Amino acid sequence: MSYLNDLVVDCLQFERAFCVAECPFDIDVPDFIGKLQQGRFNAAYKAYQNAVGFPGIVSSLCHEPCKEVCPLKDNGGSISLKLLEKAAMEYARSTSPSQFNMPPKDKRIAIIGGGICGLACALRLTTRKYNVTIFEKSDRIGGHLYDVADPKIFLEDIELQFSHESYSLVLNKEIDDLKALEFDAIFIATGIGGNDFGLLQSNDGAYATSEKGVFIGGSITSANTMEAIAQGLDASNAIERYIKIGKMNQPKTDQGTKLTVDAIRIIPNEAILPANDNLYSKEETIAEAKRCLKCKCDACNHYSPLLNYFDKFPRRVTEEVQITLVPSSLDGDASMATRLIATCNQCGLCKEVCPVDIDVGKFFLESHRTMRENGKMPWAFHEFYLRDMEFSSSDAALTKLPKGYSKSSYFFFPGCQLGASDPEYVLSSYRFLTNLFPDTALMLNCCGAPAEWAGDEPIHNKVISQIKENWVSLGKPTGIFTCPMCKKMFQEYLPEIKSIFLYDLIEEKDIAPNNKFKEIAASVFDPCASRHEPELQNSIRKMATKTGFKLEPLPMEGEMAECCSYGGQVAIANPPYASYTAQKRIAQNDNPYITYCSNCRDIFTREGKQTWHILDIIFDLDQKSRETLPTISQRRYNRLLLRQQILKEFWNEQFIIKRDDMVIQISEKLKEKLHNEYILESDIQKVINDCEKNGSKIYNPDNETYTGYKQIGNMTIWAVYRIVKEGNFELVNAYCHRMKIED
Amino acid sequence: MADTEKLICNKCNKELEPIKTNFSYLGHSFFTDLPKCPKCGMVYISEEFVKSRISEVEMQLEDK
Repeated sequence: MSYLNDLVVDCLQFERAFCVAECPFDIDVPDFIGKLQQGRFNAAYKAYQNAVGFPGIVSSLCHEPCKEVCPLKDNGGSISLKLLEKAAMEYARSTSPSQFNMPPKDKRIAIIGGGICGLACALRLTTRKYNVTIFEKSDRIGGHLYDVADPKIFLEDIELQFSHESYSLVLNKEIDDLKALEFDAIFIATGIGGNDFGLLQSNDGAYATSEKGVFIGGSITSANTMEAIAQGLDASNAIERYIKIGKMNQPKTDQGTKLTVDAIRIIPNEAILPANDNLYSKEETIAEAKRCLKCKCDACNHYSPLLNYFDKFPRRVTEEVQITLVPSSLDGDASMATRLIATCNQCGLCKEVCPVDIDVGKFFLESHRTMRENGKMPWAFHEFYLRDMEFSSSDAALTKLPKGYSKSSYFFFPGCQLGASDPEYVLSSYRFLTNLFPDTALMLNCCGAPAEWAGDEPIHNKVISQIKENWVSLGKPTGIFTCPMCKKMFQEYLPEIKSIFLYDLIEEKDIAPNNKFKEIAASVFDPCASRHEPELQNSIRKMATKTGFKLEPLPMEGEMAECCSYGGQVAIANPPYASYTAQKRIAQNDNPYITYCSNCRDIFTREGKQTWHILDIIFDLDQKSRETLPTISQRRYNRLLLRQQILKEFWNEQFIIKRDDMVIQISEKLKEKLHNEYILESDIQKVINDCEKNGSKIYNPDNETYTGYKQIGNMTIWAVYRIVKEGNFELVNAYCHRMKIED
Repeated sequence: MADTEKLICNKCNKELEPIKTNFSYLGHSFFTDLPKCPKCGMVYISEEFVKSRISEVEMQLEDK
């Protein structure tokens, strides 16, 4: 739980854009640009004026350091901020400064130097109604601006900005001794080569000197013209702080940015040049403003399907999860982020795209565990898959050495879902493996992912221990995997077990049929668990190409692989999200997909996308037989069937699948409904069995049906049925609810 | 459940009547009147009720 709290401090969400970091005035460029994009010239001008104090001077003298760091510099040309600023001034309804109706303050501040730095400081202080006196040794204000600009421009701007404020100006007065000045604070802005009165700059705070109440800034501290203005404006804050609380410890403004160009999605875009010399038209201004990328780090929010769907960033996630884990409501049970936590696919993409490696998925998993431990994670989100895992680890499980061997060098771990999708995948793979390495053992089981995703460590530990025990009994062989998720789980929780992929062995043996799929355009969909398996991704592509496919890349593949929506088994906690995610995945292009995770294949096929499992292609399996996808009940039956068939074929052993004497007729339509609502046909059988055994059922004479219910696990399942004859029933309807009926 | 629908408890052969029924979920308890056998207390909940009221409350509690 503490994981993200520690890491989120590094989050770059609020890091300055490159241009802002270079700007002496720290102008909020994304905000300014945003206003221009909407054609709000007045608002844009106000924002600019507030930031720079003297917009006329700054817009004509700024040397545009922002242009050097704009990511568009080599991608069509940097944003012309200076021209945009000029346009904002030109098209604003009014350029006069705001007038603030405040009572005057009795604090007196002396500014030594009537250059632009001192004036900038005076502008801010007089706006706040302080009593300001400027001492200027010459007979004019403006200082070194006379050397760099047309006096007409800067004098006009100075007059305009001070049009609502007043200050005392003492010309031809050189100050030699600060002690002679009786003021509440003094700002030294004496310019290039000016008098520093022998004071040193202090490290205690911004613009502070070693003398209490005396501040220094501008060209005398080697600032250039723009920096001098910015310092004058900013020094007013340090002075005001001193006047208010007597401290000279105004924090120095952070410089620079940790933002990285990698985090910005740069699309080259040609710069807009003004048709009319040096001024954009209104249309040109808006067009140029729209080129701006408004640089900020939003990689996780952009790429992570979860953060994008909920529109959240790590900081916000931390806050909401914190409130959920440690509820602060009066009744102590507020849990606003429960569904957010339970919707994480655990695909790892958020960490992959984060420039500072923040792993929000890990945080969600840790939070999930904490909530489960506290009994706060709704059981309904994971009960179905935990029961499914229990089934895979018991009724459908098998750990066996091949005939005639007392130990093995390899064991095949197909995972629970491959055989559930179609037993033939596992049978064909095991035939291939036992031909290649005759001592290859078999382990039919679940890797424990459902328990991991449910945050249920006790159950997860049990599964892992069982696998380990079985592995030892086989002679500690190397694991051969088809499912990238199973291999990932083994690597994390059973690192002592060496693991390889079946596909790499197949690719090496070159058994994929040549050119069977000649010239068919397709795209490889890399399962999210293959993210850090480049060799595997390469093997799959080689095999697909060999069989004739013309592969076209997907926008998100390889290290950027996305989850098909199955990860985390979030479909029960958040069905709309799962469906939205699956739809987005299949819409990446119009090609059929080739994948190597049976969940990806089954989900995409169900969503209407033609998708091959690579094993369909390699073993030339009959695609037609897999067009009708197994329901959740058939997926269980397929696992038993696999156990039966594999025992018969490789060990010549009988395994009888227990069947109840009861016959329940269920229409195809109703079977689909049961599938969609996670109701097992075997559970329906339990309900009817119970109703018939103890007679607890309701009779509806209108349609001659019986209705009854049974709580299985925590779920209450209802069955509406007719009795066809003894032991033979017709299911008319079924539904379930999470709420428990209290007797 | 439609008003006209007649439901009979198979065990007691009694017509169901609206009677207070208690529920619980995620540590919260509720009650409402639902068709129930006045003798043995066997309850009937229609799919419509499950898909509307019950499902709605379940979601609210999970998100609370």
